[in-house]
Amino acid sequence: MSSKLAQFLSRLFMLLIAFVPQLAGAKDIVLGASVQMTGPVANTGRYYRDAYQFAIDKINAAGGVKIAGRSYKLVLKLYDNQSDVNLSVRQYTELITQDKADLLLGPFASNFALADSAVSEKYKVPMVQGGGASDQIFARNFQYIFGTLAPASNYFGSTISMLRLLKPAPQSVALLYADDAFDVSVADGTRALLKQAGLTIVMDERYSSNASDFNSLLSQLKTRNPDVVLVAGHETELLNFVRQAKSLAVAPKLYSFTVGVPSEDFRKALGKDADYAFGMTPWLPSAALSDRWFGDALQFAREYKARYGYDPDYHAASGVADVEALVEAMEAAGSADPQKVRDALAKVKFASLYGPIAFNAHGQIDLPQKVIQVQDGALIEVFGTTFVNQPKYPMPQWNRR
Amino acid sequence: MKARNMGLILAALVLLAGLPWYGSDLLVQFGINALLLAVLAQGWNIIGGYTGYASFGNSVFYGLGSYGVAIAMVQWHLPFGVGMLFGVVLAVAFAVLLGVPVLRLRGHYFAIATLALAAVMTAIVSNLSLAGQNIGLVLPPLNNDKLFYELSLGLLTITTLTIWGLTRSRFGFGLIAIRENEEGAAVMGVNTTLYKVTAFTLSGIFSALAGGIHAYWITFLDPESAFDLTLNVKMIIMAVFGGPGTVFGPIVGAFSLSAISEFLSSEVTSIAGLFFGVVIVAAVVFMPRGLADMLRRGRDMGWGYFAENIRRHRL
Amino acid sequence: MDLLAQIVVNGILQGGLYAVMALGMALVWGVLNIVNLAHGAFIMLGGYLSWCLFTYLNIDPFLGLPLTFIFMFVLGYAVQRGLLNLVIRASMFNTLLITFGLQVVLTYLAQLVFSADFRTINPSYAGDSVAAGPVVLPEARLAVFCVAIVLTVGMWQFLLHTRLGRAIRATAQNLTAARLYGVEPRHLYAMTYGLGIALAGAAGTLYGIVSQIHPYIGASLTAKSFAISIIGGLDNPLGVLVGGLFLGIVEALTTVYIGQTYADVASFGILVLVLIVRPRGLLGRAK
Repeated sequence: MSSKLAQFLSRLFMLLIAFVPQLAGAKDIVLGASVQMTGPVANTGRYYRDAYQFAIDKINAAGGVKIAGRSYKLVLKLYDNQSDVNLSVRQYTELITQDKADLLLGPFASNFALADSAVSEKYKVPMVQGGGASDQIFARNFQYIFGTLAPASNYFGSTISMLRLLKPAPQSVALLYADDAFDVSVADGTRALLKQAGLTIVMDERYSSNASDFNSLLSQLKTRNPDVVLVAGHETELLNFVRQAKSLAVAPKLYSFTVGVPSEDFRKALGKDADYAFGMTPWLPSAALSDRWFGDALQFAREYKARYGYDPDYHAASGVADVEALVEAMEAAGSADPQKVRDALAKVKFASLYGPIAFNAHGQIDLPQKVIQVQDGALIEVFGTTFVNQPKYPMPQWNRR
Repeated sequence: MKARNMGLILAALVLLAGLPWYGSDLLVQFGINALLLAVLAQGWNIIGGYTGYASFGNSVFYGLGSYGVAIAMVQWHLPFGVGMLFGVVLAVAFAVLLGVPVLRLRGHYFAIATLALAAVMTAIVSNLSLAGQNIGLVLPPLNNDKLFYELSLGLLTITTLTIWGLTRSRFGFGLIAIRENEEGAAVMGVNTTLYKVTAFTLSGIFSALAGGIHAYWITFLDPESAFDLTLNVKMIIMAVFGGPGTVFGPIVGAFSLSAISEFLSSEVTSIAGLFFGVVIVAAVVFMPRGLADMLRRGRDMGWGYFAENIRRHRL
Repeated sequence: MDLLAQIVVNGILQGGLYAVMALGMALVWGVLNIVNLAHGAFIMLGGYLSWCLFTYLNIDPFLGLPLTFIFMFVLGYAVQRGLLNLVIRASMFNTLLITFGLQVVLTYLAQLVFSADFRTINPSYAGDSVAAGPVVLPEARLAVFCVAIVLTVGMWQFLLHTRLGRAIRATAQNLTAARLYGVEPRHLYAMTYGLGIALAGAAGTLYGIVSQIHPYIGASLTAKSFAISIIGGLDNPLGVLVGGLFLGIVEALTTVYIGQTYADVASFGILVLVLIVRPRGLLGRAK
């Protein structure tokens, strides 16, 4: 029967592809990662692709990783998960089981990190990720996941501290957030912080990720007329939000966004409409942040721009920190064994171009967010724990800019 | 059934069952994926291939099965088996409650209705906090691919046995009658509504079980991946590619298309999707009645087989 | 009360865009009985085309609409004549599958050529608005709405009064009879499909002005177009307009009074209800 034949043929085919030869050199240490290089969030995923490669090249050029007196080169095995969480889970599994990756670097985005860390936990291979900030990732008592992004629940922390010092003091706040892991985490934390600060929440709305039509939400905002609008969402949603706010003439005294503001293309896409927008970043390219391989953060930023053609932001710096954390842990443990590296990661403590690296008991870093604002097209650091520069507040109506 | 064929099938089954011991880790994982897809294709085969109602919403059953297991294990701390049962209960309820009104539609309208149901379920589940809303749920990790492989193989075997039994039963003949001429079947005394809903429910049960296994294996699900709409089309293409309305067709289709897709993904990662789309288009144009038909008649007709297909179907 | 008025206006403006999106799909479905799963991908292509014209040649998207229309018409004609025609008499779900494959291919090609970055068509007047009493009308959306009405009414008149339009309707009703009247079916089918794709392309331009274009918008736009086509009824462009406005208003009201995350529940829920209760849609004729 021909269908039987077909069945056997396909089974034979399956068996044949099982014997695919392995390729990694015996002396190299393989770092595996599945990153969004294509798909809806490729725009941010590329920061990680470039940062990982850049860091590995720099470290290799300086002699690689020194373990027990010998030097080892780092090799990056990178997969494109096409912004598909399911695919990234399968790819991390493949990285561990077929590509025999020694250690793992994480993807961008909390929902990815949430799913992928289940793989690293299942196979007991440490993963350091710099793309997921959601508190949920670290609330499960997993031992093998570490993160270099500050907790999502505290993203608006420094902004809210700043609000209390502004004059005229804002009273009412609207909170809008997308329904993915990161933004929900941000909203949960922000509500508590707002309550503590004595501010009234007049609107608290969850919206679908990738929503493109904010007209109705903006119309509601206009009616409630809050002093401050806080939005936790994705870069494209925030672009839509600002544009539609302009077209509906909605201008609160202050608005602040969790993403977008630090990155060059957000500001370019909006042009002058980006002015007055507040955001936050745990990192700015300052010469005060010194680094073992890159010199300092300013040098890093210059070299990155020269090599890749666009400015790095905190995503890139975070990616570099992930690679450095793994290297520091390997050297401290004197081995590339996953269990020993994991234990060393839990205790690691060093200075990098991203800032001081140390992980808390749950595996997450704790870095404060700096408040930034777009002023006349430039990104200005405004507030850390005190005012660094003058904020432009309150925001004028759109037709009076 | 001839003893020789029985023997061949048993040998194949033993070969497959032993795979986790002689195959590489990657092969086992590929195997689990391919087996679950084959179950989905077979499930669709019942309602689409035999009954002639092209459902574009079987992903709902798959999703319900996945969420059944996830909610039971994560929110209520129940064992996997109970979760699977819960998933099946959800699928059956859905199939019966919504199957009755939706199965009154024909052709395109039925297809769109099932697609719409899948979209609605995605939207509803992303609002339920029991299901983790749009963030989804993370299941307790279990590192035992052998177990998942054998479970999937077992499920496929049961599904295929059911279909084989179908082809020999009055129920199965009734379904084929509905496919060929529904009015005629009704006139002949076939209770079309009962038969259609039963077929839909059976299809749903197997899809739900596949979803449950997949959820536990992948350790993670969210509304978009659980009710993945492209999965709908994938299972249909696999069933149609292999030969709809046959017992082994969907299995062949699932295995061969999975192998092609896997091969493409690892060799030409960035354009794998593109090639897959091209494969689909080419398959529909040149071999619309599936691989089984091609192997049977292509041998006699050679290249003319493809030209004949086009000539017959074009305007 | 002011909020309600603004919400309804938002819904109407969005509804106009929805109507244009669905117009092409309803035409192809109603006349050729082809459910074009690649419809959203063609909207996406039309959007990219306008974006290219705007970014590289500085052609205003509204002024460039005729160009987009013609180009997409030719593309649609070629696709139908060269590809879909080959399977048109096979079983129904073969066309579903082939258009799905087409969608996959178009999405990947777009991604290879344009990358996954989001693009907008942002002419200088995009942020302006006019006030009509308590209601604010964004100018770009108002313009999109007007174009949508023009296209819909234009389609309606075209099908009713022109020779080609009547030939298309005749083919839809009875292919054999149409042949007897001298209609060449392959050419006519291709013309119809071309028209459908041209409308999709125009929708893409309008979409790109008010939202973002990227290679993956195809699938959800196709799904929306289904909903609108069916809710409105496949026979009549006016039905599509009614369907679009209805859906736009329902989504806006749901967003404000229930929650934005329930908007899809509402739209697809209504689609399911319509299919179960009145499959011919609000304005469709009983078959």
